Amino acid sequence: MYGGDEVSAIVIDLGSHTCKAGYAGEDAPKAVFPSVVGCIDEMDVDDTTSTEKNSGSAGESKSNAKSLDTDKGKGKRKLYVGSQALGFRRDNMEVLSPIKDGVVVDWDMVDSIWDHAFRECLLIDAQEHPMLLAEPSSNSQQQRERTAEIMFEKYKVPALFLAKNAVLTSFASGRATSLVVDSGGGSTTVAPVHDGYVLQKAVVSSPVGGEYLTDCLLKSLESKGIKIMPRYSFKRKEIRPGEFQIVELDFPNTTESYKLYSQRVIASDIKECVCRAPDTPYDESAYSNIPMTPYELPDGQTIEIGADRFKIPDVLFNPSLAQTIPGVESFTETGRSVQGLPHMVIESINKCDVDIRRELFSSILLAGGTASMQQLKERLEKDLLEESPQAARVKVLASGNATERRFSVWIGGSILASLGSFQQMWFSKSEYEEHGASYIQRKCP
Amino acid sequence: MFWEGLLCNRSSEANSASGMAVHDDCKLKFLDLKAKRKFRFIVFKIDENIQQVMVERVGGHDETYNNFLAAIPANECRYAVYDFDFTTDENCQKSKIFFIAWSPDSSRIRSKMLYASSRDRFKRELDGIQVELQATDPSEMSIDIIKARAI
Repeated sequence: MYGGDEVSAIVIDLGSHTCKAGYAGEDAPKAVFPSVVGCIDEMDVDDTTSTEKNSGSAGESKSNAKSLDTDKGKGKRKLYVGSQALGFRRDNMEVLSPIKDGVVVDWDMVDSIWDHAFRECLLIDAQEHPMLLAEPSSNSQQQRERTAEIMFEKYKVPALFLAKNAVLTSFASGRATSLVVDSGGGSTTVAPVHDGYVLQKAVVSSPVGGEYLTDCLLKSLESKGIKIMPRYSFKRKEIRPGEFQIVELDFPNTTESYKLYSQRVIASDIKECVCRAPDTPYDESAYSNIPMTPYELPDGQTIEIGADRFKIPDVLFNPSLAQTIPGVESFTETGRSVQGLPHMVIESINKCDVDIRRELFSSILLAGGTASMQQLKERLEKDLLEESPQAARVKVLASGNATERRFSVWIGGSILASLGSFQQMWFSKSEYEEHGASYIQRKCP
Repeated sequence: MFWEGLLCNRSSEANSASGMAVHDDCKLKFLDLKAKRKFRFIVFKIDENIQQVMVERVGGHDETYNNFLAAIPANECRYAVYDFDFTTDENCQKSKIFFIAWSPDSSRIRSKMLYASSRDRFKRELDGIQVELQATDPSEMSIDIIKARAI
């Protein structure tokens, strides 16, 4: 039992793409920053041969870079967190993600992200504030205990609570029972919630999230000869009033992962500006003549986006569509079967008890950044109507407010932690000291 | 059950001064509805200041479903219990007690959260509920839905 609630609690939702942090009771997170970390191996700086080797392999895949990284001992690297620190290009800086498939693979980085949130964004002393952390629906026991350890031992927080993403979203929409479709940056998860509990066995997830769509768009534009120049790679000079000249800059020590990160920032903005889910499954011939939408890149060049506006979002509904985009790694090659959104919903509901299926069909909640895509709700509802059992009453719900939809998990946590009646639910420091980290399983469902 | 903790019985637990309590009146009125059939419906409200679930309104046995709908505010969350009379296909008179969690989209997100997280616990206080509904707009608790769920 944790008694005091004079100081407000801190709520953190560390997603695979963005970290949301802020004070409980507020209606939007104070700090939103990328949950990737810039990393420079201190040893590399002097040793040029290993740098080349490192950046070469990092270009192939992120996981490669990671294994290299962990081999090298963790004490000797410098981490950069936050949009500002990442926006500044540094020689040999790799951009790495601490979370892979919803599982934390590098605790040092997660730690640095928390630290950044406390000290640089919220300017608080973690010792004084209870912490509510949102966790993925299928978080493992080990991960939860490790979280508790770091929070109590390193940050010395007075109290902690871990709440499931899906439960927070469900409560925030006023439902204790619902099917939460959370399409975020790194993945899409469909999780049934019943009476405030996630039904673990019926959780279905896929790696198709916002980041994958961004990559699809990037590759598709590249295949059409459009090169997206990262912001750091050029300078814009005004040669005459109103007329600009682009001067390309050359930084040979920039890593591939940093270049990709910077390109993704731009591509994801294009995606958010122009993309829209098509009303019916994407069809190459039907969309070949649609009008082009212009978009101005940071370097001043204006590109035209046509069928991709609809094709890219349709990957969510039909992941195999990505195979038609040159250069995109498809999931069939990696041996994972990936389903489209409507099938994931049906599969998840079918794994639940017959008695609650009807209720789940009628309260499907959309949450997460990617779910804010235009027309996504309407399309999902339409597809589900076609594929669901006759008697089912399908209803897809999404908050009309874009901020609420994007931050539904964080907002849910914010309110929960500020409820007077919640104050007795905290896992307190004294309980941790008495029972140990494994007690988190009893305190937080 | 975990979320039950959000609603605590004050008398039984010394430490739950901050927890949500259920006013005795809720249980008594519910018993009157169930056993004595004195009421057609009861509307409950969470009073956040005193952290307690209270009876907001009751409707006499002869009130209709439309009276009940009128008793529920359009933009605020409530819990409600309704005693629904119907005739089965075999011409048999029956009644079922519905529990309805009403959280309209237009209500404050804070109260949605409060009602959703306390619902499970509150429902357990009312022994004898046969059908549960959650509604976020009036169409989800129309008389047709009630009929369909009763049979």
